[in-house]
Amino acid sequence: MQQKSLSTKDTPGSKSELKAKLTFAGIFIVGVAVVFFIFNLLTHGNFLEWQNIKIILANMVYPSFMAWGMCFLFACGYNDMSWGGVVVLASFATGVFANMYGLVAGLIAGVLVGTVLVFINFCIFAYTKIPSWIASLSLAMIYEAIAVFLYRGKSTKALVEAPMAKELRIFGLLPWSLVVLAVGFVIIYFVYNRTIIGYNIRAIGGNANVSRALGVNVRKTLLWVGLICGLIIGITSFLQESYAGITTVKTGLASILLIFQPLAIALLADILQKKINIIIAVPVCAFLLYAVFNMMTLMHIPSGTLQEALLCLFIIVFAVVGQRGVKEVVK
Amino acid sequence: MSAETVLEIRGLHKYFGPTHANKNINFTLKKGEIKGLIGENGSGKSTLLSQIAGIYKYDEGEMLLNGKPYAPANPLDANRAKIAMVTQELGVVDKLPVGINVFLGRLDQFAKNGVVNLKKLNQAAAQVFEKWNLPPVPLGALMTGMMIEQRKIVELARALSVEPDILLLDEITQSLSLNNRNNLYALIKRLKEMGKSVIVITHDIDEMLAISDSITVLRDGEVVGDVKTSETTAEQIRYMMVGRNISGDYYRADNKVDYQDEVVLKAENVTIPGEIEDVSFELHKGEILGFCGLSDSGIHSVGKAVFGLSKITSGSIRLVATGEEIKSAPDAVRRQMAYVPKDRDNEALMIHASIHHNCTLPSLDELKGSVGYLSPSKLKKLSDDVVANMSVKCTGIGQTMDALSGGNKQKVNLGRWLAKDLKVLVLDCPTRGVDVGVKSYIYGLMKKAKADGIATILISDELTEVLGMADRLVVMKDGRIIKTIRRDEEFTEHSVIEVMI
Repeated sequence: MQQKSLSTKDTPGSKSELKAKLTFAGIFIVGVAVVFFIFNLLTHGNFLEWQNIKIILANMVYPSFMAWGMCFLFACGYNDMSWGGVVVLASFATGVFANMYGLVAGLIAGVLVGTVLVFINFCIFAYTKIPSWIASLSLAMIYEAIAVFLYRGKSTKALVEAPMAKELRIFGLLPWSLVVLAVGFVIIYFVYNRTIIGYNIRAIGGNANVSRALGVNVRKTLLWVGLICGLIIGITSFLQESYAGITTVKTGLASILLIFQPLAIALLADILQKKINIIIAVPVCAFLLYAVFNMMTLMHIPSGTLQEALLCLFIIVFAVVGQRGVKEVVK
Repeated sequence: MSAETVLEIRGLHKYFGPTHANKNINFTLKKGEIKGLIGENGSGKSTLLSQIAGIYKYDEGEMLLNGKPYAPANPLDANRAKIAMVTQELGVVDKLPVGINVFLGRLDQFAKNGVVNLKKLNQAAAQVFEKWNLPPVPLGALMTGMMIEQRKIVELARALSVEPDILLLDEITQSLSLNNRNNLYALIKRLKEMGKSVIVITHDIDEMLAISDSITVLRDGEVVGDVKTSETTAEQIRYMMVGRNISGDYYRADNKVDYQDEVVLKAENVTIPGEIEDVSFELHKGEILGFCGLSDSGIHSVGKAVFGLSKITSGSIRLVATGEEIKSAPDAVRRQMAYVPKDRDNEALMIHASIHHNCTLPSLDELKGSVGYLSPSKLKKLSDDVVANMSVKCTGIGQTMDALSGGNKQKVNLGRWLAKDLKVLVLDCPTRGVDVGVKSYIYGLMKKAKADGIATILISDELTEVLGMADRLVVMKDGRIIKTIRRDEEFTEHSVIEVMI
């Protein structure tokens, strides 16, 4: 059946692939530079000030982690709407334990609570036939109820606290938050792109039946997703608490709002992934997203609904541009 | 069990709920034997191979592999026993690279502490392609966007990567173009020379007679015949398959070009970058215009372009009578055109919806009332008519499509279009994966459509099919039309292949 021999240009990391990636990276960097230059003009030179860039960088760290978690989640073909509720509880644990026993205890508590709760979610997904988005909505309400229970006796207005002492919040500050981001990136990139579990996760999301037929243990893989996402959400919670210093208890499914910005990042990264690896795309998109938010704030556009509406518009434009040239399967 | 026998199946039964899919199967496979497995759609062939490959577990009976009990718990178990299968339906994982797809489920052989050595994996995948002379597929590229033929080749590479002693091929040839089909035959021959055994399922009886040593025929889940290929004929096989005589002459018997002068559709200089270039042709009323070519010839892209499913960068496709240009599929449907794609499960049918919903979808515009009201009784009548006219074997119009056999799916697929008043019918491999009985039925429908004045484009990877049915045959190569041959000219397999190559 040989028509021509296989050449190394067909394998990843080859010169032609590298050239194509470098070309795209070049175009992308130039494009972003032009956009940032326009932002700078619109904000009378405030946007590109180093102090302002630092604000953007500090903002993007913990949403990037949650967006990485979402990459695993979407790769396996599931949804989880309860992560906002998990972050509330895990952040609360971080604050309480850090204040009582120190930073390490806070880290362990946050990661443990995050991991256990997300793992429970995935056990439910794996062992029941309830669609994940329905199950996770129920779980979100349960986690919100637990958070309210922990604040029992307080009025609704008092459901905002700042339990984490300021001196313990070093991982919410630069440069340490960026160090965590860098370390997290290396580990997550490695797990997603170079491990058996990473490939199996993507396989069951791509086609669970084929994966099962080829010997991939779908249930076990789902539990692995729960463990990995749980760890990531635990770290997200620790970073959120370190950055914000407060835990706001949400009710009435309002915890879902905590997912919105990471979701936007993950979706943008998903659009970019035909050109660059999705794990690399996440921090890039997080930076872009918070740069847009920042620019709008500098332009005195009221925060809240109007900014979010403009953000959605930005995502739609980005998606339209990103999807250009995507080819469907030719049968 | 003789020393030569590598696989023996005794009294095997398989049930899917109330369906008795395999009944008391007895079957042997010898070392170096090429065994053909044939039967109507739904006769239990794929189920049988799936049990040998560990995809399903059998309910009763036993399998002996080299004289020892064999009951694979999963496909990996079968792989460890040197048995591998290329399935009809399962396919590949889109979001993963080709190299990973070749070894998916067995990545641990390239991993240390769970970390995959991609370089080593891709080298091994490249070796599989080179060793078996498979057409090159970029190993680092994602499967997304690849043609069905490339996907089948990756599946074949995956099966060959386990160095199988028994290779199971479930209707793979009908996904391949003529050149790769011939190359597959060479590969099967090579496996035989190496003492490996192959079980092949195909609906092409002539192909089976050409490549196999023996043929086992299944009907309604039972073995109804087990014969040496050299001692049987196509007619005998057909008779065993369906339990009655089917005329072998189900193609057109005439040798003349028989259509009206009226041009219905005209394609002018149509170009889709990377797929087809500068394609022009005219389609007449009552004509069957065939398209054939080797892989990457662009024949399948022509079908999509005519129906408005591909973006044409230059040129046009117009209905001559009105001068209207076809730019999208809704345009095409509104202008009484129909398209039956090659990949019916993914591109034609709503596979998890009911027969009823699939039947009525293309006709909703015609069935709706003055304020857009859809009368349930009219919809039901349409579905009932399609099922009755096409003799669809089903429990009722509420049955979901995925529960039907390939042939019955195709009957629904075709029937729902033929229920409309059509001017142009585009058929892309309409008999892919259907048995000889359904094939004969589909050719009958094409002849009737022709007699009714419907202009038909017939795209096919099977040369005998287009030669048997077309008035004119367009031969394509590398996205361009090389030659158009009329039925009353030198209309033979040999002359067409000469042009194709």
